[in-house]
Amino acid sequence: MKFKEHWVAYLFLSPWVLFFLVFLIYPFFLSFQNSFLDINVLNPENTRFVGLGNWITVVSDGKFWLSLFNVLFNQVIFITLSFVVALLAALMLNEIEFMASLFRTILFVPVITSITVAMIIFDFLVSPVGPIQENLLGIGMLDAPVFWKFEQWLPMPMIALFSAWKWFGVQMIIFLGGIASINKSLYEAADLDGASWWRKVTKITLPMIKPQIVFVLTINIINGLQMFVEVFMNFDLQGGPYSSALTPVLHLYQTGFEQMKMGEASTIGLLLAVIIFVLTTLQMKITTKGD
Amino acid sequence: MIKNQKQQWLIYGGLIAASIMVLYPFFFMIMNSFKTGSEIMHAPNAMPEEWSLRGYIEVFKAIDLFRIFGNTIFVASAITFLNCLLSSMVAFAIVKTSMPGREFWLKMILSSMMIPGILFTIPVYMMMYDWGWINTFRALIIPGSISAYNIFLLVQFMKQIDNAYLEAARIDGAGEFRIFFKIVLPMLRPALATVGILTFMNAWNDFMGPLLYIRDDSMLTLQLALFKFQTNVPGGNLEQLWAMTTMIAVPVVFVFFFMQKNFIKAFTGVGVK
Repeated sequence: MKFKEHWVAYLFLSPWVLFFLVFLIYPFFLSFQNSFLDINVLNPENTRFVGLGNWITVVSDGKFWLSLFNVLFNQVIFITLSFVVALLAALMLNEIEFMASLFRTILFVPVITSITVAMIIFDFLVSPVGPIQENLLGIGMLDAPVFWKFEQWLPMPMIALFSAWKWFGVQMIIFLGGIASINKSLYEAADLDGASWWRKVTKITLPMIKPQIVFVLTINIINGLQMFVEVFMNFDLQGGPYSSALTPVLHLYQTGFEQMKMGEASTIGLLLAVIIFVLTTLQMKITTKGD
Repeated sequence: MIKNQKQQWLIYGGLIAASIMVLYPFFFMIMNSFKTGSEIMHAPNAMPEEWSLRGYIEVFKAIDLFRIFGNTIFVASAITFLNCLLSSMVAFAIVKTSMPGREFWLKMILSSMMIPGILFTIPVYMMMYDWGWINTFRALIIPGSISAYNIFLLVQFMKQIDNAYLEAARIDGAGEFRIFFKIVLPMLRPALATVGILTFMNAWNDFMGPLLYIRDDSMLTLQLALFKFQTNVPGGNLEQLWAMTTMIAVPVVFVFFFMQKNFIKAFTGVGVK
């Protein structure tokens, strides 16, 4: 009789179960199976079992590790920059009452802008003929225009700068939510002890918003390692000069959709998922230590 | 916490500076859309010499912008409608019924958010290819019709609905269907606005989906159309490019200013255990 009683509940749950089976479980196994096959979409009848072949190819391919290095290089700059900016903005917004919601709204605008639009604007602003470089040349801070897209070490920091501008708003809002839930009496007690603003931030605010900080870092790692549109729009599928803008997803896209090697591309996807999983678990272990 | 007037001024100064840095790029976008192509190239810092609408006019001649807007609105609306309906049904089953295994399902949904999407790019593409879904809107809509994050948000909201309403209705002999559609959904309206807006925005801004699955120019969505427009004739259609960029960005920002509370709600409260 149990089932009859709950049939509506099961019916309501069924969209998720279907989604779970069709778009999560099945593709996961497909991906796993593909990683042992040599598949070319154009002539699928030639598919053959290659065992660990794809895995060996991907792991021994310097390009995969280079792409991983690039994206980590990018993330170190992005995470530091956006974390500092978001935290400062949240702390400032928390101190004011008049027009707080207007400032909060303005600072959130880049988040709702699409990457495509934002990238076109950014590309113009920092291009060798764009306004920023023209101003820098004008005041003599720059001797010659910088073609950052042709340099080996500039693409990743530039994209990190772009991403920090684009995404700091999300982190700011999450931090604000955390700060708002801190018990005010903690600050009052600190005020009685004559604690400075800096001391209150480091001893009360930061420790109290640790769950938000962990959440933000985790999301950043998960999203950051999957960077694609930013580099795809600016650099060809090879990933720019010296492959310095090649990211793992660009590498996967190139392998799967240009070279049509779906098996190898699946392997890249799986390997990257494993790396993301390990990094997020590790990061959560470290940041939640002592709780 | 800072009551000192001087420090307050310092904070407002900081916030104004930050706002200018955030809005500065948009200012250039709008200025460029009114400039002529050569002005964009040669006088990047200057204001438009004479405000020209040529970019706006030319871009409508160059591509079928109405159709592209229509495609995007259709896909994003379908995804938003399905998400609001399906995700709240799942949340209802988990929060408001006595179905066994509710905790288990919720845990499973939450942990599925931790799986990186990249894992599914290739296998889902192959599935779509086998099913003949390439170059159809189905490929964009169906996989996006339900999301773990939306279920999670709606579960949080649904927990706040008092069970007394539901009990009263059950005593009156209302079935679960009636309870869901007549009582819970209407009470969930503010939450659905939040989920809906967030979903619509993500679908509107989606790039990877259309890039993988859409081939025909008649089926392009805005983001992919903008990208193709940027790469097709480099430098040759500058004024049109900026007019198009402005037309895509401004409505979104405009809507956001009216509905910012709903956006903000979707991000606060997450990460709190």
